[in-house]
Amino acid sequence: MSSDMFLDIENLSLELGGVRILENISFSLDRGKYLGIIGPNGAGKSSLLKCLGRLQKNYSGRVLLEGNSISSMPERAVARRIAWVHQTGSDSLPFTVREFALMSRYPWQKAIGGETLEDMEIIDRSLETAGVADIGDRQLNSLSGGERQKALIAAALAQSTDILFLDEPTSFLDYRHQVETLELVERVNREQGITILLVTHDINLALHGADEILAIKRGRTAWKGKSEDLHHKELLSEIFDTEFESFVSNGQKIPYVAPRGLVR
Amino acid sequence: MKRLALPALALFSMAVIIAAPFIGMQQISFAEFLSGSDMNIARIMWDLRIPRVLLGWITGATLALCGLIFQALFRNPLASPDMLGVSTGAAFGAVLYIRTGIVFSFLGLISGLSLAAFAGALAATFAIYAAGNLRRGGMSEATLLLAGVAMSFLFGSLNMIIQFTGGYVDTFRMMRWSMGGIQAVGFAPIIATLPALAVIFAVAFVAAPELNLFVCGEDIAASRGVSVAKLRRFLFFSVSIVIGINVATCGPIGFVGLLGPHICRKMVGTTDHRKLAVASLFFGGAFLVMCDTAARMLWAPAEVPVGVLTYCIGSIFFLWLLVRGKR
Repeated sequence: MSSDMFLDIENLSLELGGVRILENISFSLDRGKYLGIIGPNGAGKSSLLKCLGRLQKNYSGRVLLEGNSISSMPERAVARRIAWVHQTGSDSLPFTVREFALMSRYPWQKAIGGETLEDMEIIDRSLETAGVADIGDRQLNSLSGGERQKALIAAALAQSTDILFLDEPTSFLDYRHQVETLELVERVNREQGITILLVTHDINLALHGADEILAIKRGRTAWKGKSEDLHHKELLSEIFDTEFESFVSNGQKIPYVAPRGLVR
Repeated sequence: MKRLALPALALFSMAVIIAAPFIGMQQISFAEFLSGSDMNIARIMWDLRIPRVLLGWITGATLALCGLIFQALFRNPLASPDMLGVSTGAAFGAVLYIRTGIVFSFLGLISGLSLAAFAGALAATFAIYAAGNLRRGGMSEATLLLAGVAMSFLFGSLNMIIQFTGGYVDTFRMMRWSMGGIQAVGFAPIIATLPALAVIFAVAFVAAPELNLFVCGEDIAASRGVSVAKLRRFLFFSVSIVIGINVATCGPIGFVGLLGPHICRKMVGTTDHRKLAVASLFFGGAFLVMCDTAARMLWAPAEVPVGVLTYCIGSIFFLWLLVRGKR
């Protein structure tokens, strides 16, 4: 039976080319929450996100959004609910920031007619929120990693969805841009009530940003719960096969962790 | 500057269409044509040159638009309709028709050679699609592209086998056909190819937002709500059929589909496919008319097949593009 949760994942398994990628993942998430999905490289984090967002359809089990199966929703309907910030690395995106944001209006546009005044206002607001209004006419390919990531988030916001998926949004970014990106994500979560699912292998990021955490190891659920409960070193070393040291910075409840060495 | 690129291109293209029929072995002046007193001039213009210029323009525009769609679809700047087996498939149909020596026509309007070429193009299209689709997990852009290239080589070698077994006359006809050429006497070829151009322009123009998203990759397109697999199938078949109609009429004409979209991107300075569709229409048309006019003039009174000329100009451009190297 489906519960009355916002997002419900029941016994999700994925097999690609005879290899088990995900096995029996189940979890639920309330509207407006910020979920961090963590785990080592190759654990299946990104594949899980793809299943949830209907970019991967060959899974077994169920993904329910407000009780409706995502896999039976048309592409456009899904795109009106879920926006993505993909891991694009060095992919060539030969468009300006503004053009790319306009392309995210696609699920709301009619086949013929092009952009409306409303589209333009939404784009202006999104660029403003992400702090890229002044570089709207720059080519995405000419931006630095940090600017580019903010521009991609701006485009995702322009899609006007109530759910945002981010796949490793801080890899390749320097510290300042990591912080800027995460603050931006937290801000849209708190101020606009957008539900966030963020994939990362950075534990501190998840510990301090997310409300809840789902940890995956070799395709299985390794741990799930409130993020303030995850900082036990034994738990973390089990998930990542690495010994951790934790530090409590002044006044903060949740400690920071750093890797110390391999588990022996 | 770039804002004016589209209107400038449109004007230039129109100017080429208007000027080209007056250029040729017999130079005809505006006044001579308008006075309409000389029957010979009227016949040269209405039966030969005007249809030929129009057919050239339609063909160039069609090829450039098809190339534009394919390059976005396959996310590959080197993709072009003549690389994907449809043209060689058409050639296979034509070569087989000549070799078997059967002669037929459809209502006396469309030659058997064209029908055979079109049938060959269709056969190739379905073969490529089937091969690309047999793989478990559906058709990815990479498999479809590779299937197309493989099919192109397969039909190419079959063509050579048939040519090898043919007599001198047949072989010459086959060779001449596979060089491509804009030959029109009267307006029948235009009636066949103009609707195809209209369809492919409408497709490129209406599907421009989807093509923009395709360029960014399958995941980005899908996450914005594009039905990637469905649209890819639709675009693949519409381009292939339109190319089939065109190749059946003019033979394979290379490189307009490859180089047209690249030049348009440079001129218009954007990757927005709505603007690129308009640019490709006008540039492709003007380019092929100019090539064909050159083909009529260079060796006069003999004619160089225009396909040979576009390959020549196209290859040089292509090398320049490679050497220039930065994207």
